[in-house]
Amino acid sequence: MRRLSTLSREDKLLIQGLPAFVVLVLAAWVIWRLTADLGDVEARLLTWSNILELTWQHLQIVLICTVLVLALAVPCGVLLTRSRAAFLSPLVTGIANAGQAAPVIGVIVLLALVLGFGLWTAVLALTLYAFLPVLANTVAGLRGVDRGTVEAARGMGMSPTQVLMRVELPVAMPVIMAGARTALVLLVGAAAFATFIDAGGLGLLVQTGIIMFRYSILVSGAILVALLALLVEWAGRVMELLLRPRGLV
Amino acid sequence: MVQFIDARWTDVLFQSYQHFSLVVQSLLLATVAAVALAALVTSREGLAPVANTVSAVGLTIPSFALLGLLLPLVGIGAVPAVVLVTFYATLPVLRNTVVGLQGVDAGLIEAARGQGMSGAAVFWRVRLPLAWPVVMTGVRVSAQMSMGVAAIAAYALGPGLGTYIFTGLAQAGGANALNSALVGTVGIVLLALVLDAVLVLLSRLTTPKGITV
Repeated sequence: MRRLSTLSREDKLLIQGLPAFVVLVLAAWVIWRLTADLGDVEARLLTWSNILELTWQHLQIVLICTVLVLALAVPCGVLLTRSRAAFLSPLVTGIANAGQAAPVIGVIVLLALVLGFGLWTAVLALTLYAFLPVLANTVAGLRGVDRGTVEAARGMGMSPTQVLMRVELPVAMPVIMAGARTALVLLVGAAAFATFIDAGGLGLLVQTGIIMFRYSILVSGAILVALLALLVEWAGRVMELLLRPRGLV
Repeated sequence: MVQFIDARWTDVLFQSYQHFSLVVQSLLLATVAAVALAALVTSREGLAPVANTVSAVGLTIPSFALLGLLLPLVGIGAVPAVVLVTFYATLPVLRNTVVGLQGVDAGLIEAARGQGMSGAAVFWRVRLPLAWPVVMTGVRVSAQMSMGVAAIAAYALGPGLGTYIFTGLAQAGGANALNSALVGTVGIVLLALVLDAVLVLLSRLTTPKGITV
């Protein structure tokens, strides 16, 4: 709680307000679901077991991609900031900037047409998509570490690995975590497109709702995806707060 | 590929134009709305964090989910596309404008007031020009995001290059599916790069000479 008092008003509003908002909307939706007089199609799609199944599929895609992105992008960022690989960094920045302009739905559809439909194509497309913000923030965070601090650590006799693990990465952690949070939220939103290539997830409800013109399915799907994204944003902010090195507040 | 584009050259051009025009018009609308909101928010004590919270939460909401929520309200077609793109385009500009306006040196504002400028004159001739580079950075972020959001709006029969992506998806297995999806995706990347270049140029031209580094 002591950490909470060091936050700006904006961060405080988010950390305390988001869960309240999510619970409120979710409760309203559950009450609607319990009392609404649903048609045949709606009742079949909006069963509790089906919704839990779709939510779990959605989370699964997000979790697999998050692990892959963090495991790939952070080491890449570390490599790019080492002086021996410095010549690569303008090239990577250029590719990353052009890549960021590619619409995620285009990437998913293209990969699906080439590699076939299914979960793993969706995972590949979304991992590519979320890779860039984490890479960019890792590089920015490590570049932002004060040279004097690194020199001081070297002067104390730390090896380059020790400097990286015990000085550079901890100091860069807030920036890296902000990138990871951005990536996570992007993933929850983009995973809604997985349904287009038969990879499941809550997007299925939105898609079915649009195709069959059933607003109750459409809106239910949209609300659940949005709540999941808000919840993930909140979890990311809390993690950021907890993982921030003590000396850095 | 060449054959594919050659056969429907006019339609590719037309959809590109529609896509570009949807993004530019929404961006214009969003910038005006965001600057007005930011002016309002920074003039009252304590409202700025609320505005920043709203823009952070707004950006969290997935575009496909918001599209789903919009359809019952406004139907399908171009209207949800404009609303959707404008909504997402407003948020980065709003955040940057608030930050930019807050970053203006209080001493400069005092000096302007001391010269007898009215509140409106201070805003238009001192605060906004000084915040302008930060505002334009927000516009560039918005522009890039809008290009992708506009593609998604095509799922609800919105205009633009997203149509090609969804046609490709619908014809999966067909001979032209890949060509269609490629035209849509690459076209959007190209449009995004062109628009970004235009905005960089515009930002250079509209930034007051005194504060260019």
